[in-house]
Amino acid sequence: MNYMPGTASLIQDIDKKHLVLLRDGRTLIGFLRSIDQFANLVLHQTVERIHVGKKYGDIPRGIFVVRGENVVLLGEIDLEKESDTPLQQVSIEEILEEQRLELQAKQESEKLKVQALKERGLAVPRADTLDEY
Amino acid sequence: MGAAPARLFQLRGRRGVSSQEGLGAPLLRVSSSPGCLLRWCPCCFCLLAPQILEDYLLVEDVPLLEEMAEEDEELDLYNEMTFGLDRDSTEEDAVKTPVPLERSPDLAETEEEPQADEGQPPPEEQGEPQGEGGMEPDAEQVGSEEEEEQLGAEEEHEDEPNDLGDPAVMRAVQSKPTLESQDSAVLDSRIGSVWAEFGKEDMLAMEPMVWGSCPSSIPPHPVLEDKAILQVLETPPPAANVALDFLSSPVQRGYAGSPRLNRPDFRGTSPKSFSQRFLRQSTGYAPPTRFRPLSPTVGTPPRPLAMHFGPMSPSLDPSPFFSPSASSQFNFSMPSHLTQLHPQHQRILTQRQQQGGTVQRYGGPGGLGSVPGGLWVLTAGCGLPRDSVSPKKLWSPKADPYAGLMTCKEKDWVVKVEMIQLQSETMDDDYYYQTYYHRLERKQAEEELMGGRNKQEPPKLVTPFIQKVETYNSVVRIAGSLGQVAVSTCYSPRRAIDAVHHALVEEAAGSHRLRALHRIERLFLQLLEVEEMQRKVSLAPEEQEQKTQEAGRIYQALKIRACSSEEEAEDEFLQVLCVRKGKKLTARLLPHLASEQAEKILLTITHHLPFLMKKDALDESLPLLYSPLNEVVGRMTFSRLIQVLQEITRPLPESDEFPLAMALKNQFGITLLYSLLSRGEGLLSSETPLEPHGRDFETWTDTVFLVARELSQVPKASLVEPLFLPSNLLSLFCRYLDKQTVHHLEAKMECSPLPSEAAMPC
Repeated sequence: MNYMPGTASLIQDIDKKHLVLLRDGRTLIGFLRSIDQFANLVLHQTVERIHVGKKYGDIPRGIFVVRGENVVLLGEIDLEKESDTPLQQVSIEEILEEQRLELQAKQESEKLKVQALKERGLAVPRADTLDEY
Repeated sequence: MGAAPARLFQLRGRRGVSSQEGLGAPLLRVSSSPGCLLRWCPCCFCLLAPQILEDYLLVEDVPLLEEMAEEDEELDLYNEMTFGLDRDSTEEDAVKTPVPLERSPDLAETEEEPQADEGQPPPEEQGEPQGEGGMEPDAEQVGSEEEEEQLGAEEEHEDEPNDLGDPAVMRAVQSKPTLESQDSAVLDSRIGSVWAEFGKEDMLAMEPMVWGSCPSSIPPHPVLEDKAILQVLETPPPAANVALDFLSSPVQRGYAGSPRLNRPDFRGTSPKSFSQRFLRQSTGYAPPTRFRPLSPTVGTPPRPLAMHFGPMSPSLDPSPFFSPSASSQFNFSMPSHLTQLHPQHQRILTQRQQQGGTVQRYGGPGGLGSVPGGLWVLTAGCGLPRDSVSPKKLWSPKADPYAGLMTCKEKDWVVKVEMIQLQSETMDDDYYYQTYYHRLERKQAEEELMGGRNKQEPPKLVTPFIQKVETYNSVVRIAGSLGQVAVSTCYSPRRAIDAVHHALVEEAAGSHRLRALHRIERLFLQLLEVEEMQRKVSLAPEEQEQKTQEAGRIYQALKIRACSSEEEAEDEFLQVLCVRKGKKLTARLLPHLASEQAEKILLTITHHLPFLMKKDALDESLPLLYSPLNEVVGRMTFSRLIQVLQEITRPLPESDEFPLAMALKNQFGITLLYSLLSRGEGLLSSETPLEPHGRDFETWTDTVFLVARELSQVPKASLVEPLFLPSNLLSLFCRYLDKQTVHHLEAKMECSPLPSEAAMPC
């Protein structure tokens, strides 16, 4: 029961396994041990999970202290349901390799796109000039 | 660094400085050296005694110590008054510490330990945040040194770091080289496997005893290190049960079944005391007798002590900690002139008193004992409430040796800070919280009215009420002193320079777009104020006037120039309208404007309709404007209506196309058009005198014909479905057109057919 109704607090989440998504795109999974008013997190037995396609790999990281502003979202992991996932776990080396390949493929397609736009005399869309509203 | 005093600590260890050296030993001073961790109260930002991470040894004068300690006390006092932190609760706890608790672990270890200083260590130990057990001895050691130096200040110093409520503070580390090398990013990959072991099955299967036992190979280093823990976890020793007897039994002796639990963070005490002893034994120096004295000659205890210095014993049932317990837990002391009880508090507190301890909130009782006015009490508890641990959840604190790293006090502290943040005058600060409670109250008021029940008090949060210091005294003079002390508080951090705030020169802010965005933001804030005024239920006439004035001001700021032939890129209002938020702003503003002003906006929009529709192609946010504009149309007079319609039907200068045709292809456009026509029809058929001017009727008829023609010409595929189809359009067409055309149009527009054809006048 939420003893602070109308508000959201992480107090209830302490000592539970969480999945945390960071602003730089990393996914961390760990036990939430401590918080503060800025939602800085202390994660214990943290594992960084890299997803590529249907595969994922876990890199054990130990204890993480995450500054609150870098968290996009976090959610509790149901330990019972944690293992029924259609995804396949692979070794660290393999997933890093897969990630590298994926990045490479993306960069190539991006390059092709830019090239095509340039050939047609169109402007290359840049993040800083996109409409935000 | 600043005027706050630097507290001096003495470090042992590396440089081989024995603790028993007197004040002649090199002392550490915080200067601009980079290795120092400054402690500050996170709320006040007043500098507290700095902690030293690396040892920089400088010799410092002794007399300064006392002076600085005094200043420390002042700051402590200030913080305490503001936050009412746990100084008293700590001391209370110390007093109420069940002596058996303290003794029983001792007893388990060595029987002969004198209990002389029983009272003293507990405040030190229990108060501290759970962290590296290895640091404890140092801190205590340090504290003891200072106590020897300063009379009467000792307890405060010991309690000070904790009392100021910053559980994040770490103590100085007795560092061995191995410590620093530990922090690699990818630790032993065995962790992963450990984790797998630690999976749910293990949690269930794992004996409570297993966690704490250790093989004889445990490194003497007490620091909570994963590698060490790994070893511990991976090799459950055979002597598991034996090893933990001392842990479990005395504890259970002291605690099992005891409802009276005064030490929420018990778990901090017992293992910690072990750790201290352990450390002392391993490092082999004799602590001063202030602490639980151990003979330095005591070797490694016969039973291996694999201490997890933070987490509590899993053999303990955690629920006693978290269940409603003695109210003494939550007695934050003192009414001071700074902390006053919010009137709502008083109500709720007295309520709770009546309800007694039956209120189960988050584990804490909210029970207060005697509550004089001026006490603020947090109902926050800590840990898991019993209810929430569902049977499905396997990860119960019982099995998790690391659970409870964050103590109750720390959780309460965080909650306190969060609640303070909720207090605000304006809606801006915490909109969701305020709205939630408004809605709740409204709902309950309704229920009350309907159901006639007894008035239910909406459960409000008991928020600590802090009177904010409005004035800033940049210079504080202490009576009798010759100098000035610059005091910083969290509301008035030290002002280094008198910086004068210059208004931002917006016009030079760059592109049109940026300027438009700035304007929108500014005007939106004004709009929110207007709406706030509107929201007040009873609006006195002068307030009404004020409101319209404010709204008018926003209107002026928008700089609407109806039907200007100016370049559309220059028109500021149009630029505002190009942005989605600008449309929202206009839409929300329209209800508050006078009818003339609103009509002018409508006129401008219709005049520039093609431009707006083109700009909106990506965003599709024009429909936002439909609803308020519809309202405006609904109130328009006939002549004004004609004016607006003329805007749609005038031919565009560049192309031959009418805006009309374009409008038919845009959802907003077509809906607006229909709405205008519908209004016209409504007016015509309503028998109210229309007061037309000049060629109004002719224009009207022309418009209708034009629309009909366009509608029939436009292929059905490109005709967009409007947001809303008025029902009287067909009758309008009937009035002017022949039956066949009407049928044709009916099919096109997919109107519902008129009730009976015979009734139609056409």
